[in-house]
Amino acid sequence: MLNHTAERFADRYSRQIRFAPIGQEGQRKLLNSTALIVGCGALGASLAQHLTRAGVGRLRIADRDYVEPSNLQRQVLFHEADALAALPKAVAAAEKLRGMNSGIHIDAFVTDVNRHTLGPLIEGADIVLDGTDNAATRLLLSDACYERGIPFIYGGVTGAEGMSAVLVPGETACLRCLIGDEEAGGDGESCDTAGVLSAAVEFTASLQAIESVKYLTGNRSALRGSWVAADLWRFSLRELQLPKPSESCSHCGTTPAETSIHVGGPSYPVTLCGRDTVQVTLDEPLELDRMREWFSRLGCEVVSNRYLMKAMLSPDHRFVLFPDGRILVQGTSDPEEAMRLCRRLLPAGALR
Amino acid sequence: MPLKHNWRDFQLYVITAGGCHPGRELVHVMEETLKGGAGMLQLRNKTGSRQEVLREAKELRALTRAYDVPFIVNDYPDIALEVDADGVHLGQDDQAIEEARRLLGQDKIIGISTHSLEQGLAAERAGADYIGVGPVFPTNTKPGRAAVTTSYVSEAARHIRIPFVAIGGITLDNVGEVLAAGARKICAVSAIVGSEDPARVCRSFLEAIRSAEAGGHAIRIRLNGKETTTSAGNVAELVEQLGQGNKRLVAEVNGMMIQRSDWTSAALTPGARVELIQFVGGG
Repeated sequence: MLNHTAERFADRYSRQIRFAPIGQEGQRKLLNSTALIVGCGALGASLAQHLTRAGVGRLRIADRDYVEPSNLQRQVLFHEADALAALPKAVAAAEKLRGMNSGIHIDAFVTDVNRHTLGPLIEGADIVLDGTDNAATRLLLSDACYERGIPFIYGGVTGAEGMSAVLVPGETACLRCLIGDEEAGGDGESCDTAGVLSAAVEFTASLQAIESVKYLTGNRSALRGSWVAADLWRFSLRELQLPKPSESCSHCGTTPAETSIHVGGPSYPVTLCGRDTVQVTLDEPLELDRMREWFSRLGCEVVSNRYLMKAMLSPDHRFVLFPDGRILVQGTSDPEEAMRLCRRLLPAGALR
Repeated sequence: MPLKHNWRDFQLYVITAGGCHPGRELVHVMEETLKGGAGMLQLRNKTGSRQEVLREAKELRALTRAYDVPFIVNDYPDIALEVDADGVHLGQDDQAIEEARRLLGQDKIIGISTHSLEQGLAAERAGADYIGVGPVFPTNTKPGRAAVTTSYVSEAARHIRIPFVAIGGITLDNVGEVLAAGARKICAVSAIVGSEDPARVCRSFLEAIRSAEAGGHAIRIRLNGKETTTSAGNVAELVEQLGQGNKRLVAEVNGMMIQRSDWTSAALTPGARVELIQFVGGG
């Protein structure tokens, strides 16, 4: 069957192969590579689509969130049915991607990416693409990439503005050197406060995708060595030349890391930027069947699928529970309040 | 009621000129200047009746007290005493400094306009607390008087030991020359009270004075495409002065992205092209 499919789609990559800098050899390299996309919202979905169609052999998609109606305006892989079913983004994305290209291997991970979960996800990856929406996770990814010597393709988008940069260990400074650490300022405007236009998403994802394709097809000398800052509404586009690695940095430079310092990573409980949501992470997995029973008995309206369960606590508050032990407390951005709700409403012993 | 601070620390001296703001109340316009940071306020009304000057003096006394700013009355030592102003300002043709001192006592401030170094030194000897140096540029506030140019400002900076205030035709466009000549206290009249937004103009004057005080290092740079004057010596200082220290920014100087840890060593030179861009973090 697979062979049959492969035969039918023999010409799948022909137009890409015909592009001289890629050719047969570049395509072979692409099919032999592994890419990790962290975050499968607007940027992540567009990135995943580009890489799937281009034929990156193994694609890993990690996302902690689920599809909502407000995503549909710009997150190209999702359908109305996904939002109605509250499917996890990674799962809904993988399903569409497999329909686009059955000849590659796609792994979907419904998980928060943090310093505890990143290890196995990044293991063996040739490149990491940024589809995240917060500085803390980006810094975690940049650190991990520089530690392993693999490039990190930063992208960010808000309103009609986009930014992107290819950060390559040994060649450019790391993200931490460029934008400062976790304390160096807030995340600024988010898509939830300033809105975001799908064309700006696509523009930014394209900047990321093209550099990824260059890198994975062995066209490293063609990589763009600049940080791009674009505003598609006013139309302005600036290219900032990226500095070299910093000697004094323990990530991109040669200074050894201070082992006592734990870098980056959202930990527990963490406010999701601009989302009116706090993510609480329990020490143990959650049994969704048991939780569904529990919250039904509490009189909450419950919606669930294989991957998550939503419980409406009040018109203003709800819990979204994931089997990996995460709870999105929606309707607050105050970690204390989120913890109080968890303590009050979860079965005894769930929170320790 | 004594001032809570040393009046000699003032940097920006404002003088009333009711004719410059028809339709706007004197006390409101002058309050704007105080909000903008004026450090000394003088009532000058050469045309009104004594009754009118007294009324204005009472209002401005109450206002300046609320802002803890010294209040000076031009010409009328008796009104100054009656409203408990902090001092008087005299012209070369008015009563002598000694006479005003006898009337007001040792604690009041006596200032006098001077138009040459000779007059300035004489005022100092006669016990003036400060002198006005001007008019630096031709001015409509004092028509007919020849401008003394910045050369008297330079002489005053070298030879006058009491506080001196440069005055006369000073605007935001020419204040740089006056500061370059050595003035560190500036008085502007029509440029401030005649403007739509006196508070903003005051802040701009103070910014210019402070950057001159910081060592005259104010330079012109191109910040996000706009010509800007700054006394910041490096990117970190610039970000702080702009009040952007709490934001996550990326910085570029002359086309090169500057690492966050290098912001303090990234010196700003005249004509530098600087871009400060908010980090875009959505996804």
